[in-house]
Amino acid sequence: MTTVGLDITHTGWVTTFQDLGRLGSEQLGVPTGGAADQHAAVVANLLAGNPAHATLLESLGGELALVPDADVLLAVTGAPAEVTVTGMPADTWTPLVVPAGQEIRVRPDTGRGMRTYLAVNGTLAAKRLLGSAAPDARMGFKQTVSRGDRLLLETEFRGFSRRPFEPSLFRLPVPVPRFDEDIWTVDVVASHGIHDIPGVRELIEDSVYTVTPRSDHVGLRLDGPVLHPDGDAEIVSHGVPVGALQIPHADELIVLGRYRSLTAGYPIVGVASRACLPLLGQAGPGRRLRFRWTDRETSVHRSAQRAAEVRTLAHAAAGAFAALGFSAPLSRTNREDILN
Amino acid sequence: MTTAPYGAVTVEPFGDSAVMVTIPHPEQTIRRAAIVAFRDRFLAHRPPGVLDVVSGLESLLVEFDPLRTALPHVEYAARLVAEWAPAPTTGAGGAREARTFEIPVVFDDEAGPDLASVARELDRSPAGVVEAIADSTFTISLLGAAMAPMMDGLKVPRPVRRRAEPRTDVVPGSVMIAGTNAIIQPFPGPTGWRVVGRTPHTIVDITRPEPVSFAPGDVVRFLPVSRAEADGLDAGFLLPVEDRA
Repeated sequence: MTTVGLDITHTGWVTTFQDLGRLGSEQLGVPTGGAADQHAAVVANLLAGNPAHATLLESLGGELALVPDADVLLAVTGAPAEVTVTGMPADTWTPLVVPAGQEIRVRPDTGRGMRTYLAVNGTLAAKRLLGSAAPDARMGFKQTVSRGDRLLLETEFRGFSRRPFEPSLFRLPVPVPRFDEDIWTVDVVASHGIHDIPGVRELIEDSVYTVTPRSDHVGLRLDGPVLHPDGDAEIVSHGVPVGALQIPHADELIVLGRYRSLTAGYPIVGVASRACLPLLGQAGPGRRLRFRWTDRETSVHRSAQRAAEVRTLAHAAAGAFAALGFSAPLSRTNREDILN
Repeated sequence: MTTAPYGAVTVEPFGDSAVMVTIPHPEQTIRRAAIVAFRDRFLAHRPPGVLDVVSGLESLLVEFDPLRTALPHVEYAARLVAEWAPAPTTGAGGAREARTFEIPVVFDDEAGPDLASVARELDRSPAGVVEAIADSTFTISLLGAAMAPMMDGLKVPRPVRRRAEPRTDVVPGSVMIAGTNAIIQPFPGPTGWRVVGRTPHTIVDITRPEPVSFAPGDVVRFLPVSRAEADGLDAGFLLPVEDRA
């Protein structure tokens, strides 16, 4: 195990330590939080030879850049991004070696997605709150990474017996999501609130919604047509799943994110499929969304397909690293890690 | 812990990986007490695949991994727990003993800007409201947002209303009431609760491995103190009476 320094030479608009979020914290009033695009975060870690839940960096927009003081193995995933190592173009969604003293830069195309993930083989030193490095702004747990910071990494990576500028080392079955479509389609499972608003099901299905700049990690606020319930039935504070579609008193639709809290008084007409949550985590202001109603079985089936793809990648990556004489801690990657 | 009388639970699917459990009963106080009791039992007999639960005032959101378990299993487990499971405090060992907290609070116009309006609402003097709060014995029913202790047990002639216009920035340590509940604000933030006082203690300390010392079921009493007394306390992190000796 060696300690490597990573000098942050530039950051995204916001760059933070991140992971898959807190387990068992919601019963303590703390939202699970964690990477907005969980799929990208898991895949970045697997491609870097880490367990799925390892601490990594999440950047919103901007241009993250860092210089390691020893060779490091890393991977960049998330929004489509321009990545360079020492000024030379490099690939996303694949393991990369960044040589000591050289700079890697990551600039997402924010027209197509908001967040990039950078995972480095090993363990990043970061503070934890309730077992997780994920930020929680409400509790003053910021986890922000700033220009000039020196991050510390414990890693067993000693370099491959290859030169860093040779073609990509790996041909792995990476499940790379597409961000090309002009209007993203989000599957939604209807929930009880839909019965209180006649016609809302058809209205939502037939409309296109636009993400507004008032969106954040608590929820995406969408411009588009909505209907309100007739009655004024009292809805007391209750928990809501991530991805819940809520209609507040104003004429907007809110899709709640991983930092949502209890909600009260507003009807919830549906919940986005688990398989679509990573896509929602990439949506930024101006993004147009269309909602498609789906049933629970189909929704779970899509989750299962996604999980199977990630499992396949985990096994292939473990095999590839082993063949190169590099034993990453992938054996610790279990189903629970990947699925959450 | 109360063992409120309740029969069947209602289990409603909520998206592809959660259910909402409620306990139908015409009386609000029973619905609320029963869901707290249910939550304790459910956590004590947590079925595999259940990831977390979120307490609402009258509901429990149960989040599960749909690839490790399935909706009918979670629903069945919830019904089993409701009908058969013993309350965890009556089980053999294991359960945490309820702790007691005596929390000093400054009740004045600066620390409690809603004290006067609550007094008018209840036809009492501000001192009378403080007396009612000090005479009440609260039980923590759940941890609200950011681990805020939400308590039940305020002895007032009628439930206290929430503010029509929420306050946008309430300071940490603020003691707030609404209905027959009280809550302490752990971090700066907005609230629709009525702010009646402030404790000098730190309620939640994120630098500690266990950021709070309280849990649902614990008992809380508020002790009115003057501003000078509060300043002289060197209060620090809130600890139960048992740990201060």
